[in-house]
Amino acid sequence: MSLLVRRFAEFLNDLQQLERTAARSEAILEAFTRHTPFPAGALYLRDRDANLRLAAKSQQFVAPDILADEPPTEVIAAADRVLVPLRSGRDHLGLLALSGGEYSDEDLEVLRAAAAFVGTLVANQRMSQEMREGDFQLKYRLWELESLYDIGLSIAGTLNIDELADEVLFRMISLINARRAALFLRDGAGFKPYRSFGDVAVSDADLQRLLETEKPVTLENGTVVAVPINGNNQIIAVLAAGDRETRDGGIGAFEANELRLLSLFANQVGIALENARLHREALLKQAMERELELAATIQRDILPKSIPAIEAIEIAALSLPARQVGGDYHAFFERENGVTLLVADVSGKSMPAALLVSALHAAVQLLVREGRELGEVATELNRHIHHWSAENKFITLIVASIDREAETLQYVNAGHNPGYVLINGQLEQLKSHGLPIGMLAQSKYMTQTRPFPAGSTVVLYSDGITEAEDEATAEFGNDRLEALVRTACSPEEMRDRIAAAVREFVGAAPQYDDETLVIARTR
Amino acid sequence: MTEELKVAVERKPQGAILYTKGYINNVGGEEIANRAYELMDGGVRTLLLNLRETKIVNSIGISILIEIIEKMMDKGGKIGFCCLTPVIHKTFQIMGLANYASIYDNEEAAVKELGL
Repeated sequence: MSLLVRRFAEFLNDLQQLERTAARSEAILEAFTRHTPFPAGALYLRDRDANLRLAAKSQQFVAPDILADEPPTEVIAAADRVLVPLRSGRDHLGLLALSGGEYSDEDLEVLRAAAAFVGTLVANQRMSQEMREGDFQLKYRLWELESLYDIGLSIAGTLNIDELADEVLFRMISLINARRAALFLRDGAGFKPYRSFGDVAVSDADLQRLLETEKPVTLENGTVVAVPINGNNQIIAVLAAGDRETRDGGIGAFEANELRLLSLFANQVGIALENARLHREALLKQAMERELELAATIQRDILPKSIPAIEAIEIAALSLPARQVGGDYHAFFERENGVTLLVADVSGKSMPAALLVSALHAAVQLLVREGRELGEVATELNRHIHHWSAENKFITLIVASIDREAETLQYVNAGHNPGYVLINGQLEQLKSHGLPIGMLAQSKYMTQTRPFPAGSTVVLYSDGITEAEDEATAEFGNDRLEALVRTACSPEEMRDRIAAAVREFVGAAPQYDDETLVIARTR
Repeated sequence: MTEELKVAVERKPQGAILYTKGYINNVGGEEIANRAYELMDGGVRTLLLNLRETKIVNSIGISILIEIIEKMMDKGGKIGFCCLTPVIHKTFQIMGLANYASIYDNEEAAVKELGL
């Protein structure tokens, strides 16, 4: 084997070693300076920006960082230095500059052959690196998609907004290579920090600007961004990220893809916050429904469960509570020689109304059973209710006592709908003669008395009857009621006729108010 | 919550365990790499990374972990991970780390399997 061939074989062997490990620039240069007559040199490789950048150099060798001139296509040999292009096919991959020794034509041939080998080696490694990077990018995209998908699943699977916010922040930070992130929630006209990872340099003024423009805000040369989170037709939160990492260890501005991702995460947070809000509202609704049920129970328990059997007096009653509990109340009190009937309507609905009905019930039971006359009952009731109930709470009330022996009817109407008496075919009204109970502390009520011969009928009702609306919101009215009351019949029959007429009039329209009817006829 | 990563090293008879706490990003990844390379230069050929107190890792951190795995493979050694959060576990699978390094549910199993 000639010396040249042996030298080339050794050179090639060294270069082949480079193939097995990552071919570092220093190792390539070192192989050339060891196996050629040139003890010093520099290696330039083309970077991503197509510049020929210094990759390795011998000590003492003077070489600029970037070569301004395009490399030669062939080996250029000068007196004490040579320039060897590194190529693969038509690609110029780099340049070797070697110096310091005497050389022969054979040395140049060895250089050419070794440079061709290294060119292929560098090209292969570049291709391999590009493939690895491409593979990494593909996997990164998959990671991105999987993360968004997983967050979607998390949103569907939990209402714990704290956990969800952490998960979104962590995933978002991971994917956009941010060092810091924060979630701000709307708080009146501004925002308050809710969750954060590190400190994000977003001021109240920045957040206010975002609120006004309804657009993402970019700060600190793009290294901090804040995007709005929309929900319920307004900005309900802000997602901010800061300090995007770069591979060289620095901090850079967020790029378009990262801003897009940030917006996608913001949408997800918006959905999660909206879900949580809807859930809270549903819970509130449930609580209100429970309250309504409780109020309805209270009222049901208070109202008479049966009608007292009183000699020579027939009584019929109807109580139809609306779905939303109203405040109708009625009661019967058996008295010597007769009965006392009461119909009342307290202001408001739901639990407050039910509680007022409860207070009314307790007071009425006490006062009437003490045998006081009706004017005194109403006056005492007024004092009691005015003292104990809220300012805007009052009760309209009509109470009537039938004395069978005296054949009289005594009554008090405190701001209630007029009651009716039907005496010998003549219909008369029992009109209001005082303010509703509880409206003014000093109100006094006088008992009204009128004849009530045997065979007379008294009809008390709440405005739920006369103000029952049909689908066109027309009211049933007093005229229809009076026409039904005029027709002489038993209290039960009259009750059923009135109830049927109201139902027929209302049709499919919903019942908005309690309907109460109390009818009594003496024999 | 802090973004800084802390690494603690525990030498074992047949290698070492690195405990990480915090964000594995560029800075955190380099910190792990420095510790791992020190150990590798000292002859350690089996490393376990316990990520029990790490909840976030970004793509730069992942690429640094891949470099550490490759360097260890070049030296004929092996690396394992344990105690990953479900999110990081899935991320490692998607990003291909699971193809080159073993992943264990807990440290005990990892120590046993890696022969630490």
